[in-house]
Parts: sequence; structure tokens; C-alpha cells
Amino acid sequence: MNRLQANLCLICVTLCWSTEVIIFACIPDDVLPFATSFITSAIAAAILAACFFRRIAAEMKRAGKEILLRCLLLGVLKAAYDIMFLYGLKYFDVSTGAFTFSITVVVLPVVLLTMRKSVDKKTWISVVLVLTGIVFALGSSLAGTQVWGLVIMFIGCTLRALFFVKLNDFAKEHDSITLSVWISVVGAIISFAIWVILQPATFGAIPWSGTVIAGLFIYAYFIVAFAQTLNVFAQKRATAAGATIIYSLEIVFSLIWSAVLPENLIDRVIPSPFHVIGALFIVAGSLIEIIDFNAIRRVKSRHE
Amino acid sequence: MVLILTAVYLVVAVPFKVMSVIPGFADIRPVLMLNPVYGIFFGIPGCIAFAIGNLIGDLLSDSLRWSSIGGFIANFIGPFLFYVYWNKISKTPFSLRTGKNLLKQLCVTVVTAVAETIIITPMVELSYPEVSSILFAKTVMLNVSVFPIVLGIPLMILMQEELHFTPKPFSKKKNALR
Repeated sequence: MNRLQANLCLICVTLCWSTEVIIFACIPDDVLPFATSFITSAIAAAILAACFFRRIAAEMKRAGKEILLRCLLLGVLKAAYDIMFLYGLKYFDVSTGAFTFSITVVVLPVVLLTMRKSVDKKTWISVVLVLTGIVFALGSSLAGTQVWGLVIMFIGCTLRALFFVKLNDFAKEHDSITLSVWISVVGAIISFAIWVILQPATFGAIPWSGTVIAGLFIYAYFIVAFAQTLNVFAQKRATAAGATIIYSLEIVFSLIWSAVLPENLIDRVIPSPFHVIGALFIVAGSLIEIIDFNAIRRVKSRHE
Repeated sequence: MVLILTAVYLVVAVPFKVMSVIPGFADIRPVLMLNPVYGIFFGIPGCIAFAIGNLIGDLLSDSLRWSSIGGFIANFIGPFLFYVYWNKISKTPFSLRTGKNLLKQLCVTVVTAVAETIIITPMVELSYPEVSSILFAKTVMLNVSVFPIVLGIPLMILMQEELHFTPKPFSKKKNALR
């Protein structure tokens, strides 16, 4: 997989993540997010393990305990930022909350610098553009937000940035499918522990129906098994900062879905001009990160 | 091979039947990302599996109608066009490593989408005049073009580059005849 292909895969991952809202519409609100997380992660891990058993066994033989410990770290980080986002989003309306996810883009280069890793000039330009987009989109709606909401989201974004940096490092050393399976397993265990505490009836508390089962199944293989694994593969070739900038496109995709999909699938929202301008800045920031200007320059000079 | 591929198709397709645009006729179908995958990596067995999978999917979701015949034909032709293009028409072997080849894949996808829409829509229009054929055609066109591009291309990159699947060539016998 070359850099162009990795970037395309990351765009696809972001697109899959952006459809979460549509899939969640099939799952009733009284199903706890931890229940959804446990069931979908467990199904995804089972599917991947069944399909790639030999590959996983070989990697486990090679990497041993190290990969387990690393996945434990990734799983804990993921669970932590998921919980932060879950509670942080209660302080925002849906569209504003979605834009706050993108703060990760701004936090990540700072995390990289504190870890003494270099960040490209191009990446900084992209970060500034994406940040401008977020400020535009959030604009006046931030004025009425409680500070606690922002603090929780900021901590969540910092943990998420740390997750991406570590994932990017580990993806270059380990087999992507094995990483993906163990991240799902750790995620499932943590989610189940919290689910049992919050809702001791666990499976008995879920209002099972064909639609709920379909929704959970789609989420499991589409968002967890497919998108997460594709993400780990792409991380092998991408930089953490570059990947995070591409992830910020999630809000752009979400805006598109809410504007174009039929009402029986999603609550239709006509984006405000500020949202559109914000989204355009985010797209511009992502394009600068995706386009390989050096390669274009090389091709031009070759022609000259 | 056909059985396995059909089963994979159904596992991906059936749950999405809960997301219907025109109940019984058109739904959101990410399974169409498998359209080029089945054609390019599995050849004729892939094309057959794709068509059968679509037919069984209609049957399982209680949407088997006369227009399903058109659906069967279109869903065979879809992957077949990808198979033919990369084996007979393209001068370079299948690979999505360059912008040029990505553009080729994009064009074939659009051609496939147009072909499938032209086959299915009149069948639905003739059999069920009450269904909005414009909305139906738009849904088919979007499904058949968007999913093979946004999901199918990354999936094929993953399969070829990382999981080491190789595109299915035309059979040796046919190659010898060429």
C-alpha cells in the first residue's frame, strides 16, 4: 500500500465512521452505548479471528506478550476517550458536539511535539485551516456552552490524539489484523464491565428486534471489523498527524448525510452557512495533507 | 467458490434491508462495494455469486418481484464489466497504485452504474408503474456508483496490497485462443 492508497483508505474509514449516526438510528435509545460497544466489538473480533486465525496465531507467536500489552494500552485509551465524549457531548447540541471531535486535529501535533516527534510544515498549515473551520462552524454556539463541556471534550480529544499516535507506532511494528482483533477484545471486555455495573440485567434489558439485531450486526462488521482494520493497515503508511487531519472530514460527511439522505434514515438538518464555510476549510486542510506536492513538483521538473 | 461468495454477499447485504428508501424496491446497499471485487478477483464465479446473492437477498427480504429478473441480469453484468475491462480492454494489469488506474476504475464504475440502471429501471417501470421511476433510477445509480468507489476501492487496495489476492485472469484456454 503506497501513501496515496493509505490516504484513500483513511478517507474510507472516516466515511464509515460518519455513518454511525445512521446505523445508531436502528438501535433504540434505551440500549446503553456500552452494550452496543460490547456486542459489536465482540462480534467483530469473532469475525476477524475466524477469518484470519492462522495469521493471528503466527503474529502472536512472533510478538508474544508485547502485542497484548500494547493492545491493552490502546483499548484503555479508546475506552477512556469514548467515555469522555459520551459525557462531554451532553453539554452540546448534536452539530456543535460533532465539530468538537475535530479538536483532536489541533491537539495531536502538540502531543507529538511533547513526545519529541517532528511535525511537517504542511501539517501545521492543515491544522490551522481545520482549526479555522472548526471555529467558523462552532462560532456563536460556543458562547452559550458550559466550560465543563469543553474541558471534558478537550481531555477526550487529548486521549484520542494519544491513541492515534500510539496506534500509528504499533501499526508499523505489528500485524494489522492481530492489532485490530485485540483492540476489539480489550474494548469488549472494558465495555462489558461497565455495562454490567450500569445495567445488571445486561442482555435481558435490550429490546431485541430484527432491526436492533441488524443494526448491531451492521455496526460490528462495517464500522468495527472493516473500518477499524482498514484504519490499522493505512496507519502503517500514514503519519499520525496526517491521518487525524483526514479524520476531521468526518464532520463534513455527517453534514452531507444530514442534508441529502431521506428522513426515514436520518433527522434531516439543513446546514447553516457557517457550517458550510467551516466544512470547506476542513476539506481544504485535508486536501493539503493528502496531496503529495513533492511528487507533483518532481513530475513537473521531469517534464521540463 | 460460488457458494462461499454468495454466502458472504448475503451476510453483508441482508442486515441493510432495514434501511429502505422505497420499501420493497430500493434500499441503501453497501454490499455493492463487492461489485468490482467479485468481478476482478473471482471472475465468472464471482459474477454468478453476485447475481444469485442479489436474488436470494430479494427472496429473504420479501421483495422478490418480476423486476428481480432485471436485477439478476444487471447484477451479473455489473461485476462482469469490471472483469472484462481489466482483462481485455485495459492495457495495464489491474492495480490501484496510480492516479491513472484509479481514474480508469472510476470510469468503469460509472459505466457499470449506467448499464445497471438502464437494465433495472425499465423492468420496475413496466411491472410497477406506481413506483417513482426517477427516484428508483437515482437510487440505483447512486448505489451502484458510490459504494464501489468509496468502499470498493479501499477494499480492493486492502485485498491486493495487504492480503495478497490476485486478480482473476481469463481462463488459460481462452487466452490460448486469443
